[in-house]
Amino acid sequence: MVNQEHGEERSSKTTIISVLVVMAAIGAAIVLISSPTNRLLGESLYSIRSAFHGLFAGILMVTMTIGLYQAFRMWMGPALNIRELEIGSIVNAVTCFVTIVLGNWLYIPYRAATGPRAHFLQTAPEVHKIFFEFKEFTALLTLPLVVAATYLICRYGTRLSFSKPLREMTALLLMLAFFYFVIAFGLGAAVTKLKAV
Amino acid sequence: MTKRTNLEKNGAAQAAFLGCMLGCLTLALVNLGTEVSEAFKNTVHYIGKLSMPGAEGIGPYSGKETLSLGVWLGSWFTLHRILRTGEWNSRLVYVVFLVGMAIATTLLWPPVIHWTAHLLTGS
Repeated sequence: MVNQEHGEERSSKTTIISVLVVMAAIGAAIVLISSPTNRLLGESLYSIRSAFHGLFAGILMVTMTIGLYQAFRMWMGPALNIRELEIGSIVNAVTCFVTIVLGNWLYIPYRAATGPRAHFLQTAPEVHKIFFEFKEFTALLTLPLVVAATYLICRYGTRLSFSKPLREMTALLLMLAFFYFVIAFGLGAAVTKLKAV
Repeated sequence: MTKRTNLEKNGAAQAAFLGCMLGCLTLALVNLGTEVSEAFKNTVHYIGKLSMPGAEGIGPYSGKETLSLGVWLGSWFTLHRILRTGEWNSRLVYVVFLVGMAIATTLLWPPVIHWTAHLLTGS
């Protein structure tokens, strides 16, 4: 009886997710066919890589925020869902890596002779020399921090629930990663608003 | 008082913790070095070109990333070998980590870099 109820619950979830996926695919197809989506990306030759970097930075904002919440839980001490932590931290680390790789790729046109860097150095040098330079380095600091946090979560698993030093170390890594990410994200958005690639 | 086994010690965690701080600190120090010396800047760029596709387009930044990555992973590996069956004092590890991160962050703030470079080179 219990097994039957469990089976029904699972089949309902599968049905709901399947219907939602099909509806999302139909919706996306209608939007892509009927709207000038390319106009949203802009005229730039580098609009696609710029859009992908922004997209992954946006996803990273979500995963880093979840990481910060998990850090708060680890710091305060309530019971942890290790499986949830493991999946979340792996997604966070992978997204962070992809965002940095895409950022590197986008940095090439940024530094080009006619790119935003040259524009800023001519019109407002401090935008590049202070804000962009700080952004490009703080962004890199996030990767070792989230990878170390992921390692601790995956290596120690349930031991995290009982070991205060491990929880504190992991929480600290995730909190610092969020701090550096917010600086990089905020400055990146501000610089892009002044002059996009 | 019960004695903790090697498996219960946090040495591997401390190695990961300190390794990432050393990677961050390396980034800050290499960046400072490139501001101070043109020859060092060229060397860093050369290292970047050896290790990273598209390094020509992103300049010495590629070498800074490479060196930071190398020190991060290398120091993590080394510390892991040293600490895997033991552990250091937790408070000392926190202090070293936080001070290292604070130095790295301060050294990455461009006005401080420019001021320090000016102080070191006198120009």
